[in-house]
Parts: sequence; C-alpha cells; structure tokens
Amino acid sequence: MSYPADSPRERVLEAMLRVVAAEGYAAATIGAVIERADVSRAEFDAMFASKDLCFLAAYDALLDILVGAFREAYEAAAEESWSARMTAGLRALLELLAAEAEIARLALVDIAAIGEDARYRYRLAMDRFLSFTEEGRAAAPGAAALPEETARFAVGSGEAMVFAEIRAGRAAELPAILPDLVFTVTMPYLGPERAKEAMREV
Amino acid sequence: MERRPHSLNPAKRDRILDGMLETVGTDGYESTSVRSLLARTGLYRQAFYDNFSSKEECFLAAYDAGVARVEAVLRSAVDGESAWRGQLRAGLAALLDLLDTEPALGRALLVEVHPAGAAALAKRDAAMLRAQAFLDRGRAEAAALPDTPEAPRIAPEAVASGIHVVLHSRLAAGKPGELRRLLPEFMFVAVLPYFGSEAAHAEMRAARP
Repeated sequence: MSYPADSPRERVLEAMLRVVAAEGYAAATIGAVIERADVSRAEFDAMFASKDLCFLAAYDALLDILVGAFREAYEAAAEESWSARMTAGLRALLELLAAEAEIARLALVDIAAIGEDARYRYRLAMDRFLSFTEEGRAAAPGAAALPEETARFAVGSGEAMVFAEIRAGRAAELPAILPDLVFTVTMPYLGPERAKEAMREV
Repeated sequence: MERRPHSLNPAKRDRILDGMLETVGTDGYESTSVRSLLARTGLYRQAFYDNFSSKEECFLAAYDAGVARVEAVLRSAVDGESAWRGQLRAGLAALLDLLDTEPALGRALLVEVHPAGAAALAKRDAAMLRAQAFLDRGRAEAAALPDTPEAPRIAPEAVASGIHVVLHSRLAAGKPGELRRLLPEFMFVAVLPYFGSEAAHAEMRAARP
C-alpha cells in the first residue's frame, strides 16, 4: 500500500499493518514493527501510547486509502453516467485490494477478531460509501418511491461479495468479480434491466 | 466426541444453549465467559462442563440451535402460502417479528458471529446459502410470466446479503427499533431482480401497513 509520504509515522503505520497481516494481531509485537519501520523504540513511544492505539491509527489510515481509491476514480469519471462512475470506483478499489491481498484480508476479514474498536471503524468506513451510492437515486426510475435503505442494500450486498471472495482466499483475483459487483450495487437503484446493461458495459 | 453422562439431559443442555445466545447477544461474544453465562442461567459449573468443554464449543452448538429455531419459524410462516411472493412476505414478516421479540437472538446470530471466528462464520454462510436457495425460487416463478427477463446468477446472493446487512446495521447499532417496519423495503429488494421495478414497487406498497 503506498502512503503519500515516507515520514517515520507513516513507516510505522505501514509496518504495523504488514506485521499484523503476516503474523496475526496477537502475535504482532512493537519490536517487529519498529524493526520493519526502521525507527527506535523511543520514536515509537513518542508517537503511540500502545500497540492497540498504533494499530487503530494504522487501520484508520488504511481505510482512508481504500475509500480514497474508490472516491478518486469515481470523481475522475464525473462526466459519465452514475453506473459508469460506480464501475470506475469499484474497479479501482478491487485492483488495490488485489494488489495487496494480505492487507485486504486484514482490512475486511481478520479485523473482526481484533476487537470492537476496529469493527466500529470498519462499519464507519462502509458508511462512507453510502453517499456515492445514493447518487444513484437521481438516475433511478421512480426515485422518490425507492426504499430509504437503498444505499445500504447496495453497499451491503457489494461488501458481502468482496468479503466472501477474500475469505475464500481469492483476494488476488478480485477484479474478476467486477461485472457481478456492478450489477449487485447498481440493481437496487436501476432495476435489473439497466443493471444488466451496466454489467455488460464493464 | 467423548460421551458425557449428563448430555442425556436435553432440557439442561437447551437451557445452556438459550442462555449462551442470550448472553452473547446482550454482552457481546468477547465479554461472555462461562462464568457470566452461568450467572445468567443460574446453572452450576458442572452442568456446563458435562455438556461442553469450552465457551467456543458451546457457542457453535448454540448457533446451530438458534439458526434451527429461526428456520423453523420461517417454515411454519411460509407453510400456508403457495406462491413465492406470498411465501416471501410471510417469511420475512415472521423473521422480523422474531427479531423484534428477541433482539439478543438476532445480535448473537448476525452481529456476534464475527468475533466468534471462522467456524461460526461457516455456519452463518451455510444458513445464508439456504436463504439464497429459497430466494432464487423467484426465478422459476418469474420465468412463467411473459416478457420477464431472467435475473443474473448473482441475484439471490445480492438480495440475501443486502437484507442481511440492513439487519446487521440495525442490530449492531444496539437500538434495532421496529425491524418489522422494514418489511416493505425488503419486499422491494427481493422481488426486484426477478420481477423488475414495477412489480417491486407494487410489492413495497402492498406490504405497507
């Protein structure tokens, strides 16, 4: 995962993710993190009060990167239809997750066992996809009458597909599910016919 | 597995399983211990260890029992309906009523299954596949109608996980409120991929109180 700058703090955050992804949360030590990040223990202690707090900061940064990858591609396609913007965002997200399969597994699957604070952050990050998705309402037939929870249906079913692929050990092949994912995420707004068109356009 | 003498006492075992779902659903999986379970059920330590060797083992058995209960409720709700859409409405209504009556059961099965780990998640997945198989019966019924294009293969998975995630978010927030009020929206998403937008809107209107 490429961080914008290579400051000691960013090196520690990335090292924390890689150590936890490789060894599991319980087995990950501050010693392994500082070695990988090439910082001293004193530098670590000056930045983070504990392993837990360091991990949560690292996880927040990771979620920002993942949501950011989607948002950047979605916004870059501003001139296109909503389904094309969604396709662009999802493609960028799947490619990033596939390129970092171990980190992807940590971000979406292993995180559940790391505690309530981490799970809460995960849910908040998923909620950040709701606003992009809800822009589909403007493209929808009978928009006013659509369910209030339409965005959550869309995001949730897409999330479940990605989660299932990663858990099955297929994180590296995630881009292959893009057509199905586009159908799943656009269908609640567009209906099955137009969602199938969006799927074919992928 | 080693045969334990008191496991022949199914009533006590059921009490432990119910108590496990209640405790996990109320306190969370990680905060639940054999001790807190015993405190809630009023059973003795020995009664627990006669039946289970650990909290983990007990939760997995409780998860199976909880899913079996939910599925029994669904089956009996669906029983009186012949058409898929009627079965769907009756089944979803029964599910939502059950979760409104027993929010701890819902939290244990849908939310706390995540911290409980891979073996519990595999049971959740198996239950989701059964739900998807039911949902996908909409396909055959839609195929009998003229001019209804076929839903893609992914449709039942999309519907099941969409409904699941809305329930999960309500239950995880701790204040599920009246889940039953979600019935019209659930009808919309379940009917949509098979019968199209017009039918989905009609089902949503029909399911409103």
